[in-house]
Amino acid sequence: MISRLTAPQMRSTPLRLTGLLIVIFTVSSLVTFGVAYLFLRNTLDTVLEEQLHQSMVSYTSIADSNDLRERLLADTKSIDPSVMIITFEPASGPTISNVTAFPPIAGLAIVQDADIIPGQRELSDSYLAISSQVAGGRLVVAHSRGQIIEMGEVFATVFLIGLLPTLLIASTVGLLAARRARDRVEAIRTTLLDLTHGTLTSRVPNVADVPDDLEQIGLAVNRMATAQAKSVASLKQVSDDIAHDLKTPIQRVAIQLGRLQDRNDLDAEQAEIVQNAVVETEGIVRTFQSLLQIAQIESGRVKERFVPVDIRQLSENLVEAFTPTAEESDHTITFASDRNDAMFVQGDRQLLSQVLVNLIENGLRHVPSGGTIAVRLSQSTNHFELVVSDDGPGVPSAERKKVLRRLYRLERSRTSEGNGLGLSLVAAICELHDATLTLEDAMPGLIVRIVFPINA
Amino acid sequence: MKILVIEDDKTAGPYIAGGLREEGHSVDLLTQGQEGLVQAMAGTYDILIVDRMLPGIDGVSLVKTLRGAKNRVPILFLTALGGVDDRIEGLDAGADDYLVKPFVFGELRARIAALCRRPQLAEAPTSLRAHDLELDRLSRKVTRSGKPIDLLPREFALLEHLLRRKGRVQTRTMLLEAVWDIHFDPLTNIVETHISRLRGKVDKDYDVQLIETVRGAGYRIVEE
Repeated sequence: MISRLTAPQMRSTPLRLTGLLIVIFTVSSLVTFGVAYLFLRNTLDTVLEEQLHQSMVSYTSIADSNDLRERLLADTKSIDPSVMIITFEPASGPTISNVTAFPPIAGLAIVQDADIIPGQRELSDSYLAISSQVAGGRLVVAHSRGQIIEMGEVFATVFLIGLLPTLLIASTVGLLAARRARDRVEAIRTTLLDLTHGTLTSRVPNVADVPDDLEQIGLAVNRMATAQAKSVASLKQVSDDIAHDLKTPIQRVAIQLGRLQDRNDLDAEQAEIVQNAVVETEGIVRTFQSLLQIAQIESGRVKERFVPVDIRQLSENLVEAFTPTAEESDHTITFASDRNDAMFVQGDRQLLSQVLVNLIENGLRHVPSGGTIAVRLSQSTNHFELVVSDDGPGVPSAERKKVLRRLYRLERSRTSEGNGLGLSLVAAICELHDATLTLEDAMPGLIVRIVFPINA
Repeated sequence: MKILVIEDDKTAGPYIAGGLREEGHSVDLLTQGQEGLVQAMAGTYDILIVDRMLPGIDGVSLVKTLRGAKNRVPILFLTALGGVDDRIEGLDAGADDYLVKPFVFGELRARIAALCRRPQLAEAPTSLRAHDLELDRLSRKVTRSGKPIDLLPREFALLEHLLRRKGRVQTRTMLLEAVWDIHFDPLTNIVETHISRLRGKVDKDYDVQLIETVRGAGYRIVEE
């Protein structure tokens, strides 16, 4: 189960805490069991040693060697070697024993059954043995350590049937609960991410109003999202209303001007005045349209309709569209791309076109005759780069941030066309597409660099 | 043609209706969404011109309801809103075209003409002709009086678009949308410069000028 915890799962707090808890529980259980086992075994060893000494004393206390011999012969016959082994090697004569051969030992020693050659009867696994010089011979008495080994087995059994299932159940339940908590946290995180990216319809799914911290956070997020959606909707309503209320009179003015233009009895001067009024009206509409457009882009709703757009083809087509205009004003406009196939960016085709159109028109407006506007596309591992550069007067470094602001224009460009919304519209569109926009110095000229992430 | 205009503005409504009547159309003008819907369902109109913001039922719901009832009459949407969202929302609802206020009458006239002839465009012949100009859509070759004319891809697309709609005015915005897929209003007059290039190649050396500028409206290929 632990091996299934991949790297991203380990980042989940509930899972990590559960894992840590299981580890602590296992280690502390093992330590407790181990200490208890060692203590008990030690006690049993002491008791066994005591018994062994007593057995030995029961032989060594027999003064007469013939009595001892008879006693040993009787005991070796009657005593089960799986309980106690007695081996006496007299100074002369055959060994008296209830096993065939017992290895020589000095003093107290633990002897395993493998080292003993058994007689007719079975042996115990392990013995605690003691040897002593008795009546000119050497007497070895060994007591089975079966009890101690049994105890170990009992401990192992208790551990296996007691602790392991507990551990398994605890881990499973713990991990399941942690995984649930992680999924809840993940759901809240994705929802927040969606909301910050403008998907205001996103909600934390299946939240219940129960006294649980995660559910309560989920509820709070949903309430916040609803409030946000509401304020965006009312903002949209307000801007729609303003648009309607302002555009309707502009439409009326345009209608009146249209009627004037349709008349054939105007003299040249009158016709020019009407024409100027038409141009001014168009300017008002354009500024107004851009402001509305920026507001709409910043609400982020367009994002829900994003599709893959081939930015290479789009750039090439727009450069081609502007070539005759550029040539007429004695500008050169070029297009270059380090790829000849499609370069897809997740986005809105019209808005991306608008970025390029605004940047190209900006160049045509500010670069003196004879200048060049270059559109370049390149690709690196995880992004596309769109660069529009020119060899015009550029933008002083102190002004670069300001030109992205709404309605801001450099002093010297106040007299030229445009409403100061071009670059701020570009900035808003870039932000909507998760692209970074930077203005740099081309020495001389302006470099506008837009870096789009490549969507997997 | 029989046209239903549903527009609540007191100036724009009569202006549109009046302009269309002058051109010989039969026009009904309504100012309420509700009665507009009832009238559109009951009457047999060749085209509907619907404002997006209407008292009662708004324009989008009106168009959706009509389309839901399998009513396929061509619908031109008028709107004061011209944002990215709004255009797609209008077309998604089922409108056939979309016109942002303020507009000039020429634009409206051209779009109405385009909408009413739309079905006929489906079977366009491979070879398009006007006077002694011939455009082959398959081999992508253009000749005038038998002499080949070299066109850039976008110039070809522009000429093809105009030839397929011979005699009908195409406005600047209509051409921007159809040929360049630009649905907003650039400062630069891209169409004008391309038309003048195209004229340089197609009309310059000939007596008959095929590409005609219609004042206050747009361009068209003259009919023989």
